[in-house]
Amino acid sequence: MTRYEKAAAGAVLLMLVAAGLIFFYAPEDYLQKEPQRIFYLHVSAAIAAFASFLVVLVGSVVYLRSESARADRVARAAALVGVVLTTVTLVMGMLYAKPIWGTFWTWDARLTSTLVLWVIYAGYLLLRQLAEAGPQTSRYAAVVGIFGFVDVPIVYFSVNWWRTVHPGPVIVNDALPPQMLLTFLVTLACTLVLAAVMIAIRYRIETLLDEAPSAAAAPVAVISKSEPEPAR
Amino acid sequence: MTRSVAVALAVARKDLTSEWRTRELVPALGQFIVLALVIANFAFDIDSQNASAIAPGVLWLALVFAGLVAFGRAFAAEREQASLEAMLLTPASPTAIFAGKALAAALLLIACEAVLLPALALLFGTPLNAGLVLAVLLATVGMAALGCLFAAMVARVRAREVLLPLLTLPLWIPFIVVGGQAVQVAMGATGNYNQAVALLIDFDILFVVLTSLAARFVLDD
Repeated sequence: MTRYEKAAAGAVLLMLVAAGLIFFYAPEDYLQKEPQRIFYLHVSAAIAAFASFLVVLVGSVVYLRSESARADRVARAAALVGVVLTTVTLVMGMLYAKPIWGTFWTWDARLTSTLVLWVIYAGYLLLRQLAEAGPQTSRYAAVVGIFGFVDVPIVYFSVNWWRTVHPGPVIVNDALPPQMLLTFLVTLACTLVLAAVMIAIRYRIETLLDEAPSAAAAPVAVISKSEPEPAR
Repeated sequence: MTRSVAVALAVARKDLTSEWRTRELVPALGQFIVLALVIANFAFDIDSQNASAIAPGVLWLALVFAGLVAFGRAFAAEREQASLEAMLLTPASPTAIFAGKALAAALLLIACEAVLLPALALLFGTPLNAGLVLAVLLATVGMAALGCLFAAMVARVRAREVLLPLLTLPLWIPFIVVGGQAVQVAMGATGNYNQAVALLIDFDILFVVLTSLAARFVLDD
């Protein structure tokens, strides 16, 4: 078992602990009943996604300042994990919204800015995929990573004049009963560990991809070597 | 500083002269905008009652897509003739060159707006007033800065036609949200026009500063 497999197994185990707390320990919400249990992973995934994009921002800024290949790889890995976690947030949020608000989607500030966040970093990943890998593409991606991070609070702010149905921060307002708070904090910690492990594994994959000779060029090189000029 | 301004103006003048001589973009975009209005008319079934509610949306859709075409072309000639590399070899700062390109692209987009706004008023019967023009012009500034930055970026990437909208549109959303609000008020809806215009100015300043900081990394080789 490599240390990556150990870390992955640990993260999965932690998520199972969180699931146990969510389904068996946390009390049922008086008003929202069972769907309220979505809350724990929904909010945790959102926070972990923002944390991942913060990592993208830091990696991008460091890359633009120092051209460090490691910072670029960190940004690449965190962007992918961030997009996955944002997808989880959006899908779970829609499942949560349907029974509580009666609709899957509403153009609320928080929902809109999360969707824009998803679109921006999905574009970031697409840019990395379509452009030829190299320092120029890394620089472009870093610029997109920085602009994306700046754009999201602005989208949130500009939509926020309109009325908002999304509940405010219940955690900082001390509105959660202690059992729910404990369940939430454990789920958040587990999700953050999961995100960190995923970024670490992805970082390793990106390193191997960077170090490997280009997949297209390799077979050609082998063939030309194994077929020497026939002796005449 | 004055040198940079002179460089930016020279680059902008070069682009505008080339457009004036070939006349390849503005007439095409003007026609594109008229077509967009025709399609909107049939898609929304616009009449005198609902025109004022639908027109702001039609305005932004037409403007955003015309803008994407305009900015996509901004670096096309430079790419085809590899003249951007030549400009970057000169001692002029990349930021000044970028500013010139963005200025020219913004002026071309304003030329499109000079077609769009009267056509909208004429065909849909919506009011055409100073508030409307101001909101659209303010949005154009920030949109041009962002659009030109990403156009410069995708100019050297394959599948650029696909990537330009994907990268640019999400960053234009704040301008569309706030500009949309201002245009709706200017066309007769209730709302806070001054706050929307103040926000547009804030966004313009923010994104003009950010894009000029980023231009160095996008244009440099």
